[in-house]
Amino acid sequence: MITYLGVRHHGPGSSASLVAALDELAPAVVLIEGPADATPLLPLLADPAMRPPVALLGYAADNPRQAAFWPFAEFSPEYQAVLWALRHDVPVELIDLPVLAQLPEEDEQADGTTSCSCGETSDDDGNTGGEATNDACCSGDEEPSDAEPDDGFDLRDPVSALATAAGYEDPESWWNDLIEQNPAPGPVFAAIGSAMAEYRAHSRTDDETLRREAHMRRAVAKAAKTADGPVAVVCGAAHVPALQAKHSAAADRALLTGLPRKAAAVTWAPWTNARLAYASGYGAGVSAPGWNQHLWDCRGRRDVATRWLARIAAELRADEHLVSTASLIEAERLAVALAALRDRPQPGFEELREAAVACLFGGDPMLWNLVETRLLVGNRVGTIPEGVPLAPLIDDLARQQRLTRLKPEALERELGIDLRTDSGAARSALLHRLRILGVPWGTLTDAGRSRGTFRERWVLAWDATYAIELVDKLVYGATVEQAAAGLLAERLHEATTLGALADGCDQAMTAALPTAVDVALELLAERAALSSDTADMLAAVPPLADVIRYGQARRTDSSALGALVEHLVVEASLGLHYAARPVDADAADALVSLVLATDRAIRLLEADAPADMVDAWDTGLADVVDDPQSSPKVAGCAAHLRYAAGTLDAADVVLLVQRRLSPGTPTLAAAGFLEGFFAQAAERLVYDADLRGAVSTWLGALDEEDFVASLPLLRRVFANLDRSGRSRLLAAALGTGGRRLIAMAPASDQGAGWQRQLEVVTTILTGGSSSQPKTTDEED
Amino acid sequence: MPEILRQPAETTYAAELAALRADDDEPRPVGWKLSPRRVLTYLLGGTASDGTTIIPKYVGNRRLLQTAVATLATDRALLLLGVPGTAKSWVSEHLAAAIMDDSTMMVQCTAGTDENQIRYGWNYAQLLAHGPSEDALVPTPLFRAMAQGRLCRLEELTRMGSDVQDTLITVLSEKTLPIPELDTAVYAQRGFNVIATANNRDKGVNELSSALKRRFNVVVLPVPDSFDEEVSIVSRRVAEMAVGLDLPVPKNVDEEIKRVLVVFRELRSGATADGKATLKTPSGSLSTAEAIATMISGLSHAAWFDDGRLTPDGLAPNMVGAIVKDPVQDKEVLSEYLETVVKKRREFAPYYVALNEAL
Repeated sequence: MITYLGVRHHGPGSSASLVAALDELAPAVVLIEGPADATPLLPLLADPAMRPPVALLGYAADNPRQAAFWPFAEFSPEYQAVLWALRHDVPVELIDLPVLAQLPEEDEQADGTTSCSCGETSDDDGNTGGEATNDACCSGDEEPSDAEPDDGFDLRDPVSALATAAGYEDPESWWNDLIEQNPAPGPVFAAIGSAMAEYRAHSRTDDETLRREAHMRRAVAKAAKTADGPVAVVCGAAHVPALQAKHSAAADRALLTGLPRKAAAVTWAPWTNARLAYASGYGAGVSAPGWNQHLWDCRGRRDVATRWLARIAAELRADEHLVSTASLIEAERLAVALAALRDRPQPGFEELREAAVACLFGGDPMLWNLVETRLLVGNRVGTIPEGVPLAPLIDDLARQQRLTRLKPEALERELGIDLRTDSGAARSALLHRLRILGVPWGTLTDAGRSRGTFRERWVLAWDATYAIELVDKLVYGATVEQAAAGLLAERLHEATTLGALADGCDQAMTAALPTAVDVALELLAERAALSSDTADMLAAVPPLADVIRYGQARRTDSSALGALVEHLVVEASLGLHYAARPVDADAADALVSLVLATDRAIRLLEADAPADMVDAWDTGLADVVDDPQSSPKVAGCAAHLRYAAGTLDAADVVLLVQRRLSPGTPTLAAAGFLEGFFAQAAERLVYDADLRGAVSTWLGALDEEDFVASLPLLRRVFANLDRSGRSRLLAAALGTGGRRLIAMAPASDQGAGWQRQLEVVTTILTGGSSSQPKTTDEED
Repeated sequence: MPEILRQPAETTYAAELAALRADDDEPRPVGWKLSPRRVLTYLLGGTASDGTTIIPKYVGNRRLLQTAVATLATDRALLLLGVPGTAKSWVSEHLAAAIMDDSTMMVQCTAGTDENQIRYGWNYAQLLAHGPSEDALVPTPLFRAMAQGRLCRLEELTRMGSDVQDTLITVLSEKTLPIPELDTAVYAQRGFNVIATANNRDKGVNELSSALKRRFNVVVLPVPDSFDEEVSIVSRRVAEMAVGLDLPVPKNVDEEIKRVLVVFRELRSGATADGKATLKTPSGSLSTAEAIATMISGLSHAAWFDDGRLTPDGLAPNMVGAIVKDPVQDKEVLSEYLETVVKKRREFAPYYVALNEAL
């Protein structure tokens, strides 16, 4: 006797009914839809160290890039079926096509360009999702939806079609109400089977699914022959009618000829709840794994809604929002009323969400968005026991090591790489990727701006623990490249500042991870637009400019970056004079160094930079200079930069300096301006007599108290001058040998002091080196 | 022809309500004249069983209105929140009309509203002549709604002072209105409930205390989702108002409405229409109502000062007025938008110039 149990992948309701059905049936063998060659791995699921979510990972042994995942969550019916079988000591088998027959053919991409950044993308582009995957609903439907051009959506999605027929807007809700959350399900599996039969009679099935079903039929027939008792077949609901239907063995055999015969490697990989969700790009995911988990945890209980609201409240309270128990009661009442209004047997997570928004969040959906991911997705990470066979990342690394002819050696070894050669670029990319993965096999010795040159110097030393790091990182992808890109992308998503994103972009560029570069650029564009923090935007410009300027050494495509940098510069320029409004000394210093770095970056790009950007930057600087409220130091710096760029001519600068240093200006502000202007350009005073005159007039006009107060600042300004620079400045100010100085008359009450000063100054000017030029600035 | 300029909703749509009520055998909360599902039909449009067409009163998110109706079906008060011009009062009026067949029990809250206008006042002649008694009480709409088990509407709740708002706390949580002077209280009859409306982004409103907010279920009505929907709302209103104000409507008004709405919507949503670039949003709400006002001022400018030609130059000052509410921040937002987005669109070139000039 064969019983077909049609389930919905990752459906907790299906799981609960399935376990009950298995208990009742007590089958002698359990057959499950899943790659047949992974059957030997199933007993590992009973290992106490194996904690879902985990995924079966199958890949071509000679090319791990060709890989697919079949995720299992705790609430997945397949997982529960396996556990049931293992618990009852009943043989359990996977009956779908073997891994390689389900993998998409991939040859033209085998050379190294990444087509998919992380594991699960490879299973949403096709057939591989057959098993644990599957979206809204039942299996079988997702393959056509991905592999084939549209044929009318209802043909691709049985649950949508059936839900529409039942008058539902949302297929998820229909399935949930009917199957997952039906308090009195009755003979559910028979009902699903007949509904699907009706559906299949009106839809088209693609070849891939036909082949898979043929394979399953054969496996079922074989098991039925040898089994000593009832046979239970657990498969996606959509397959049930096809498996039950009569097909001749010959026809099935014909369908199955010509399948690849290559060997596949199969193993378990840790998985995360986040990657079970649609939102992660896993086309066969569920919309809310966290909710599904909750349903599973609360199976058999009547207080699902209450507990869910309590969890929402707990999340909110963790964020220090005030949530009263009274509001929770109201939220539950509203959810129940909403469910009644919508004709649903009990509140689903949409009702609970809307009730929570209305009662707990003050109607503000934004607040809900803050906790949504934590609740609906959850942060579970699976673990796999030690001793699980083969880690594809290690396989891939070994392969890469062969390709790049780099041997893992424990002893340190130096390696010089020429980035202009293909092999050099490949080696560098591999080492950089491994560093991203937390495997510092190589250490860069000439740290810093590595892209400024086409050479890299590495010190290589392999450590056995690195392999363990790689096993951990399996969750991000099956090859070194995919995993590095996946990990980096995740870090980028967590980055909070534009500067960090820009650095990440730089990293991705260095490690030749185009998908991560795309992620970085996208995030940068988004954050840049939202950011109102000019300093943050400025911080992002220099690393990006570096990428553009020196990117060519690595032949990376930087066209999109140009637009982004322009956008950042234009935006930062517009906000610059607001950012420069009264800020304290530390903030002003920070802003000055950012402005200087950005200016350098813009000059670096000047040749290929659009004129608009340079103009915008100049306008931004001009706004700072002209804004009487800007911090004097920043204004001084901006004036200097404009002067250096030639957009502010000499006469205007003298005028500006005079005005900024005029008696009406508070001494502190004047000194700040002076510092900002001359900190990088003290030598200008040597050559520019007008500027010198302006400064000199200001200094002469200070009374003693202000003068003494400005001394530290003046020292700082002139600290950048070396000794010969200072002596040239003094010479310029006082004439060669101090002629003009000697001609000056000392103030009447300062005779002795003046004599001392004169000696010191004269020594400096005549090139003597004996005295300490500590007081050089006091030329007054 | 009735002399009344504008009839209450239950009079204007009496036929629809009667048709819906005729064969309504679904269960309904105490005091309700229509079942919750029929109330939704009345608001969202449809057909009554006798074939009467029900005009949609609200175009937008069905789920939100379900939440609103479900809230009223429990005994929780409903607060409709939203930027100006999102049909809050409109929805409130129609909800009351559908549920109670009476939308007139309404308190217009203002900065000048005091407790006497919320709870009860005194007839001082009576009070002086006979001392405190029930006869000397002047009931308010809220008082009457409680006593009769009906719906009371509070318009612009946050415009009245926070201390006056707090009067509602006991009414909403204990459904009681104490009258200490007479040592008695009004106990709300079943069916009593409150629909309040409030602006959440307006200046010059009072904070809604969290104590009060907790006693409401809050539904935020959003600005129109789709561009076409909003264009049609604005075009229709602009045409109506132009007739009312005797303003000629130039031929190009539809195109200009589209352009102005593109700017408004992009700034409001913080992203360009193609979704390719994110933008900062100004502090103002840029609601549909403001777009309408901008267009009307533009028309007026065109009619009186520009020989009837509607040009970006005439519209720009009004647009700047709508967008720049905070002279520092919003200016930055707008100039950033102009430089990074508008500058690159050829068809917006006149707006780029005109808006920059107006800034």
